[in-house]
Amino acid sequence: MLLSVENLIVKYGNIQALHGISFDVDEGEIVTLIGANGAGKTTSLYSITRLPPPEAPRVISGDIKYKGQSILKTSPDSVVKDLKMALVPEGRHIFGNMTVMENLILATYSREKDADLESEYKRIFKLFPRLEERKDQRSESLSGGEQQMLAVGRALMTGCNFILLDEPSMGLAPVLKYELFRTLKQLNEEGMTILLIEQNASLALHLAHRGYVLDTGEIVAQGSSESLMNDPKVKKAYLGG
Amino acid sequence: MFDDFNLIQNLINALQWGSFYALIALGYTMVYGVLVLINFAHGDVFMVGAYIAFFVASFVLSVLGLPGWAAFIITIPATMILTSMVGVSLERIAYRPLRRKGAHRLYVVITALMCGLILEHANLAIFGASRKAFPPLIEEHVYHLGGVTFTNLKIIVICAAIMSFLTLQWIVTKTKVGMAMRAISYDKFAVPLMGIPIDQIIVTTFILGSGFAGLAGVLFAMSYPILEPYMGALIGWKAFIAAVVGGIGDIRGAFLGGFLLGAVEILVVAFFPSSYRDLIAFSVLLVILSLKPTGLFGIAKTTKI
Repeated sequence: MLLSVENLIVKYGNIQALHGISFDVDEGEIVTLIGANGAGKTTSLYSITRLPPPEAPRVISGDIKYKGQSILKTSPDSVVKDLKMALVPEGRHIFGNMTVMENLILATYSREKDADLESEYKRIFKLFPRLEERKDQRSESLSGGEQQMLAVGRALMTGCNFILLDEPSMGLAPVLKYELFRTLKQLNEEGMTILLIEQNASLALHLAHRGYVLDTGEIVAQGSSESLMNDPKVKKAYLGG
Repeated sequence: MFDDFNLIQNLINALQWGSFYALIALGYTMVYGVLVLINFAHGDVFMVGAYIAFFVASFVLSVLGLPGWAAFIITIPATMILTSMVGVSLERIAYRPLRRKGAHRLYVVITALMCGLILEHANLAIFGASRKAFPPLIEEHVYHLGGVTFTNLKIIVICAAIMSFLTLQWIVTKTKVGMAMRAISYDKFAVPLMGIPIDQIIVTTFILGSGFAGLAGVLFAMSYPILEPYMGALIGWKAFIAAVVGGIGDIRGAFLGGFLLGAVEILVVAFFPSSYRDLIAFSVLLVILSLKPTGLFGIAKTTKI
């Protein structure tokens, strides 16, 4: 397994957010965690990417392993630099005071010296032509959809081979949602491992190979996307009947 | 009596006086931009810089027996490096542990204030209350151009401030470290997600800010060669105000704010009794701030949902 989360119990302050969840992601897979607001999806991601205090959730017990090694003591920048995992956070968190191009350049901060960045920028602009048109604009002037593209493009420029996305479809017009999900599929076909967190369960299950359903800090269902889509309980609770 | 020469003369004086404010304000504004911390110890870091310059210059002149110009060339980089180390130590010893514990900003500001007082009183305890006379490093030449008088030292001070500003501006706009500084000031949360070690950027910020305070210390000691432990207090406060007037967090603002404060002070003295200087200078700044509370270059931050 590329990434395995084992019996993870996590607290935010005094509130227990995860009650011993386990899930895993294999190389080349698209795995999704679905569930309602407050189910613990974002907490799971933040635990993996080791965000610094005060955002960091406290792992009480359990383990997170990358290729069999515990990463609970890994720093957040090292998760990106050394483990090649990149998070596209909810709300995008692009650097609005900088241009689109500067956002992309900044993401290469810890790249190895011999990386062929020029061709990677070209690749990003091929995936998201709108970013090329606007590359010298301050990124806060972009539309919500363009900001999401930038957030994904920026994560790719870190040189990751595993991308974690937190609610990427939130606030996007339907057309842009499908465009983004098509791009994710294409990235996966090129070898990218993807862990996707979504409230839009239907959209997520259509893209993913496998899924886990989180409810108030516990995994209540898991399996292939088809089996989850056909599970009556999942259907009723998350897919609108 | 107000003629062209007089105006140019005052302008040169204002640029030189403002250069010190600008150099110190750069450090305030950079640390604020990255940590949202008003580093009230910064004025005293400037004072420590002046003392470091004193000891380095004295050592080079009397122990090594080198001539003044050599002492000048050695003292400037040595002081900048050593003062940077003071700034980095403050960050390590005082600010980082609080940051690790997620302390509220108020406590960090109070800590900064205490660090400044500790630097002042440690200086007083170790070197005593007697003032130190800074040795002359370069021969001062006075030039007359028309009715305007200026010295080589004034030109050096002004050039140093402008070069420091251009260097910083280049770092902040063109290098990845500088971009990371801007990124932290906008959205600290997302910076580690780019694979950027935040502490490394913070240390770089302290190196740069304290280094320029050290440069200001050398040049100030050369221009006004009397050193005392409290010399950094008032000038530090004023530089801080200059940074706020310019728009704290923006290095163009700090630079402009420094020169603006210098200009206001010099012009007040040119037309009013000198005891009015601080009263009128601060009143002008108060008016600027009440018209534009974010400072000259400050902008309100917006985020898109």
